[in-house]
Amino acid sequence: MTTTAWLAIAVFAAAYVVIATEKFNRAAVALTGAALMVVIGATRGEQIWFSADTGIDWNVVFLLFGMMVIVGILRQTGVFEFLAIWSAQRARGRPFRTMVLLVLITAVASALLDNVTTVLLVAPVTLLLCDRMALPPIPFLLAEAMASNVGGTATLIGDPPNLIIASRAGLSFNDFLIHLAPIVVVLMVVFVGLCWLLWGRHLRYDAKRADSIMALTPRETISDGPLLVRMLVILAFVLGAFVTHSLTHLEPSLAALLGAGAAVLISRQGHEGYLAEVEWETLLFFAGLFVMVGTLVHQGVITDLAHWLTSRIGDNYAVAAHGILIGSAGLSAIVDNIPYVATMSPLVHDLVGPAAGLPPDKASLWWALALGADLGGNATAIGASANVVITGIAKRNGYPISFWEFTKYGIVVAGVTIACCIPYLALRYF
Amino acid sequence: MRAEQLSEQVPTVRRETTGAEAARMIAEFRLNGLVVADDADEPIAVIPGSQLLSVILPQYVRDDPRLVHAFDEAAADELCAKLNTMTIGQLIDAKRLKVTELPSVLPEDTLLEIASIMDRGHYPIIVVRDKAGRYRGVLTMSRVLAAIATAAGQDSHLVRRRLEHDIIERGRPGYFASDTRDGEAGEGSV
Repeated sequence: MTTTAWLAIAVFAAAYVVIATEKFNRAAVALTGAALMVVIGATRGEQIWFSADTGIDWNVVFLLFGMMVIVGILRQTGVFEFLAIWSAQRARGRPFRTMVLLVLITAVASALLDNVTTVLLVAPVTLLLCDRMALPPIPFLLAEAMASNVGGTATLIGDPPNLIIASRAGLSFNDFLIHLAPIVVVLMVVFVGLCWLLWGRHLRYDAKRADSIMALTPRETISDGPLLVRMLVILAFVLGAFVTHSLTHLEPSLAALLGAGAAVLISRQGHEGYLAEVEWETLLFFAGLFVMVGTLVHQGVITDLAHWLTSRIGDNYAVAAHGILIGSAGLSAIVDNIPYVATMSPLVHDLVGPAAGLPPDKASLWWALALGADLGGNATAIGASANVVITGIAKRNGYPISFWEFTKYGIVVAGVTIACCIPYLALRYF
Repeated sequence: MRAEQLSEQVPTVRRETTGAEAARMIAEFRLNGLVVADDADEPIAVIPGSQLLSVILPQYVRDDPRLVHAFDEAAADELCAKLNTMTIGQLIDAKRLKVTELPSVLPEDTLLEIASIMDRGHYPIIVVRDKAGRYRGVLTMSRVLAAIATAAGQDSHLVRRRLEHDIIERGRPGYFASDTRDGEAGEGSV
């Protein structure tokens, strides 16, 4: 390897460590790392702007941006608050039934929207419901954070690591539905059982307090009915475009941008309305990260690492897939799974190539990476963005959740769900 | 007019005053802010009255204002009743009430000097202290404006009355009833 390549590794490693400490703004660290890559001469404009392999993957950035705009307008309609209160009323204020419905709503919403947005929408209404039912909100909030990570695993747009994997591997929305959605359904059934064991059996039903749930008026939370209907139509079209990608060849990023454009037009909102939910910091973090990882690819570091790994693995893809699954879960529990997957994706790409046309044993490495990174995030309070957001909301509302309290439950959920994936990978791909 | 002539006594709350008692005081004295006093009854800080409104709103409603529509009247009363369980001190410590330190002026300071200090920090109330640091009273926005109105030739029965009577006198029985008897509107707040 050249001196420049070693310098690039040093910059990348330093940025990674600083990001992992969470003491500095992660977008600023990633952009500083990207700038240093340019300064040391390890990458150039052409690699950064015009190559998804060695620079910024615009498909991922604009898919995220488009979905953020759509969700930002959709959330203003109050539909999520309506669904949560309505479901608690359907559960007649029974604590565990309410928890199950909230968990299912969170999981489905997380599969279609991003996890952070979903928990931001569900957490406040959960606190309201627990307040009315005189129930401790922490079990509900923990269950929702974990359900968002499990549910988000099911689709291409459900969790940011999936976006990166899809783009690197050339996987479609339907590929995720076929390969990950079935196991996620199984995992959700298992997770509901875990919810009972960990929290549900300790919750006490109070008939009088349950009645106060029935007095709530969910319809009042719908602020704009006509806009809600139009937004649901747009969301359906965007999801339809994702599913029919093989026929239309419309990139998911373009489908999301077209949907976002339509949403802006029909909502007639100013930029302060439709851009309110766009997380610029996340988008910049992705851009900086792509430049850093792309530089390692450009400098041949990832290829060298892949060659070394290939010599160790040989044809034993079953061991490699399970190693990636468990290793990714372990690492995602302690570091942000987005930079982890951004680094691992080019490595897996060099190991087995793009997913199209791969035999099942080789393709399993991509699915092992997605499952490990997405589900491993449940293990600790810092393992996934949704966990960080939910502990922040809980603290602000007077219910602090310590790192260890989260981990005590998270490690069980992550362990059991990853354990369920081991036979799934073995039976389906080998 | 000088600060000494304009200073007055106002009702104050202590750290142990409950939120509900503070709300009652605001209503009874038509205040727009709460003056927090120390053990010697000297004002040490002011809390805008609107902050007491935010205290009855749970944090999750402030995070997601659409949820407020889901509450019925009984649930809203229940939230208001929670003001009885929280003291001003607890609310300040929990950072649910933001306290503004009170700046001070000297007794001999002029109306313009007083206006300048109030304008600089948007203070509805400031303290008068002598050179030795002894507390002499407070200056409220309404009394300072009454002095300004008089200087500008806008004299009236109510303006004169505002200059002659301290806010704390509003607590006396029949104080506001006398407004009605005179056929004039009641006074404004702090």
